[in-house]
Amino acid sequence: MTNRIQIGVIFIIINLSFGYLVYPNLIYTLAKTAHWEVVLCQAFLQLLLIWIYFKGLSFFPEKDVIDIYLKMGRWFTFIFLTPLIINLVTLFALNIRLHTEVIISIFLPRTPYWSIMILLFFISIYTAVKGLGTILRSSVIIFLIVIPLVLLNIFTSVVNFDVHNVTPSWSLPHKFLFNIKFLYLIGFSSFLFLGFISSNTKLKLRHLLVPWVSVTLFFLTVVYIPLFIFGQEAVVTLNNPFLEAMDSIDISWFSFNRQAIFFGVSLVGLVILTNAVLLWMIGQIIQKMLKRQKEELSYWMMAISMIAVILSIFIPSKSLIEKYFLWSTNVQAFFMFVIPITIFIYGFLAKRGVFGYEK
Amino acid sequence: MRNIVKEIESKFSNHDDFFIEEELVDSSAIYLIGYKTLVDLTKSKLYVHQMAASTNSVKELFTNLSGQINVESEQVIKAVLEGNLVIFSHNGEENAVVDPIVQNLRSSIAEPKNESPIYSSLDAFGEDINTNLGMIRKRLGSENLCHCSYQVGELEKRKLSMLYIKGRTPNALIEKVDHQLKQIKSDIETIDDLNKQFGQRRLSPVSHLFATELPIQAIHSLKKNRIVFFLDNCPFALVFPHLIGDMLSSVNDRNFPFILSVLLRIFRVIGAFATLILPALYVALVSVNPEVFKTDLALFVAKSREGIPLSAFLETIAMVVLVDLILEAIVRLPKSVGPAITMVGGVILGQAMVEAKLVSNLLVIVITAVVIASSAVIGMQNSLYIRLLKYPILILASIFGILGVCIGFIFTVIYLASLTSNDIPYITFQIGQKGDVK
Repeated sequence: MTNRIQIGVIFIIINLSFGYLVYPNLIYTLAKTAHWEVVLCQAFLQLLLIWIYFKGLSFFPEKDVIDIYLKMGRWFTFIFLTPLIINLVTLFALNIRLHTEVIISIFLPRTPYWSIMILLFFISIYTAVKGLGTILRSSVIIFLIVIPLVLLNIFTSVVNFDVHNVTPSWSLPHKFLFNIKFLYLIGFSSFLFLGFISSNTKLKLRHLLVPWVSVTLFFLTVVYIPLFIFGQEAVVTLNNPFLEAMDSIDISWFSFNRQAIFFGVSLVGLVILTNAVLLWMIGQIIQKMLKRQKEELSYWMMAISMIAVILSIFIPSKSLIEKYFLWSTNVQAFFMFVIPITIFIYGFLAKRGVFGYEK
Repeated sequence: MRNIVKEIESKFSNHDDFFIEEELVDSSAIYLIGYKTLVDLTKSKLYVHQMAASTNSVKELFTNLSGQINVESEQVIKAVLEGNLVIFSHNGEENAVVDPIVQNLRSSIAEPKNESPIYSSLDAFGEDINTNLGMIRKRLGSENLCHCSYQVGELEKRKLSMLYIKGRTPNALIEKVDHQLKQIKSDIETIDDLNKQFGQRRLSPVSHLFATELPIQAIHSLKKNRIVFFLDNCPFALVFPHLIGDMLSSVNDRNFPFILSVLLRIFRVIGAFATLILPALYVALVSVNPEVFKTDLALFVAKSREGIPLSAFLETIAMVVLVDLILEAIVRLPKSVGPAITMVGGVILGQAMVEAKLVSNLLVIVITAVVIASSAVIGMQNSLYIRLLKYPILILASIFGILGVCIGFIFTVIYLASLTSNDIPYITFQIGQKGDVK
């Protein structure tokens, strides 16, 4: 029961963390009007993939994704999961760097980025080394702190809304469905980790419906708040539309000058947990693939994260990071299609007894 | 006098309070052995004579007096050390270990000293382990209340009792704890010595055990599927595992209507939260991120710091340390001198430092709020560790501003979430019969 709540919470947290920064930009390039159609289509595609994923996993009770791949064969595991590790490491590195840039621009514009990045890295690594239990438990508390701030941001932004900015809201040329970028959007909805923890929980799709609905609503607000405030023409020229939208809000009775600090505070909580989950996934894959002891795992994680630190420090400019980040989410999207589908097919075939698999 | 009695006498030759008294019962001599300091000799003698009057032989007397007859000499020595009276027959062949009339060395059941519950029964645990166990048994008359006793230690064997409710506390936990207690090799002198036996948490400020003085709290923990330990000569019930809920909710809250108890608990959460971040927030807002305030508020803050030579971090850390020193000093001092320190401290902190422009007015208000807030949580040890955890956040805040407060707080949360005792996480509110429930 509780574990499910925790998993739902962390599902929301990861989606929020990925959704805040680059996601709106991508939506604006995909559609000029009626952005909600894109968001909803993406959400339903995500739900479909999660369903396939869960269906595939349900063929193998008490097993997680890595176990299933190992069952398919060692070579399969290497072919599928080594690129996944590489992608997760780059995603880990780029995600932190990207968030650091935004956080610095909110709080400490004159501080060198590496000092804050290393701090965030340190805490993420610490959390990941402490294990899944720690991640799940702290996620609930951080969720309780972060979500009021997110809601505060969303509701206070209403003062600047101009409804004319989003008209016309109906338009039906579904060209975006054939745009490859639409498929890339899936990369922002992180659900792969669900398969990594399924071995010790009995998670069902219906338990994820509430988180899924709230994530979809959140994606809609993230896309629509800048639109309501600035309008489509202005929004495409902005670097971080959501951040700019938050900065534009000024409430006279509130004792704080900038709404953006709340945005920044929530980003810190989100990025630490998201990265901890990514690192934990990497650790899990390495441990099971190379059959390492649990005690050794923390050294592996530290080594891997050192690579990530170096990687993220050496990217020279912010625009490059965004570009690379987009690329790595695109690769992530590829895995989000491939992994559920392969597992589903394998499970389906195994159930039919094609490989002589017995329960 | 026979060999065995001689042997015992020689063994205790360095103990001046050791006695061997010869008594005549039914015209045969018996020897009474024990410690004068532990056994009330006059009354015990009277008791033995009264018993002897109604019996015909020494053997019958021994059977009537005691359940432990004719034990080995090592056990005799142990019994003497534990404060029992040992009786030997004239030829030394028969003996009996008797529960004597004891010297009263214990204070009687009193009111709690470290907690002040309102709306609750006022009995507190005392020094004697059996009295404490009795207090629990009396309040929780259930056949499922199980009691395991241990004798642990190297130099002295100290009595340790474990209580749990069968069918409620998870069996795996009981077995694990039982194993850990049987492994104890060193002396258990303090609560922390016992705490160390439950796994490595050497540098952690959060103990595995929650000490409470109140029987109702201990019983409530038992009912909530937890284990309660009693150490001899320790006037606390030690609840294992220690959960974060112990800091925020007490069973006495529920003597109020539900909504009031919720309110009380919310205040405690605010207290813990404020203790952790208020000083850090002051430093961050004053020195690193003043721009987040609206202009008039920022000007007000700047004005209150006008002419103060110390940096915000220095003045805050000085004040925080000073306040913690005062809290510690009050504990050390005798009750008659304590108020003097409070008064002097109050005057110095409240008036003199502000008037001398060493610290700002605003900081004094913040510090006062923190002291009050940190005392709102339940249990002195919890209040202490919350006070300790504010320092890292303060240091981070002085470097990174609001970001530092935020990261520091999240790190604290993650740290607390990572704590487990025997696989039961610290951040849970209930223990299920199998696992944990958050």
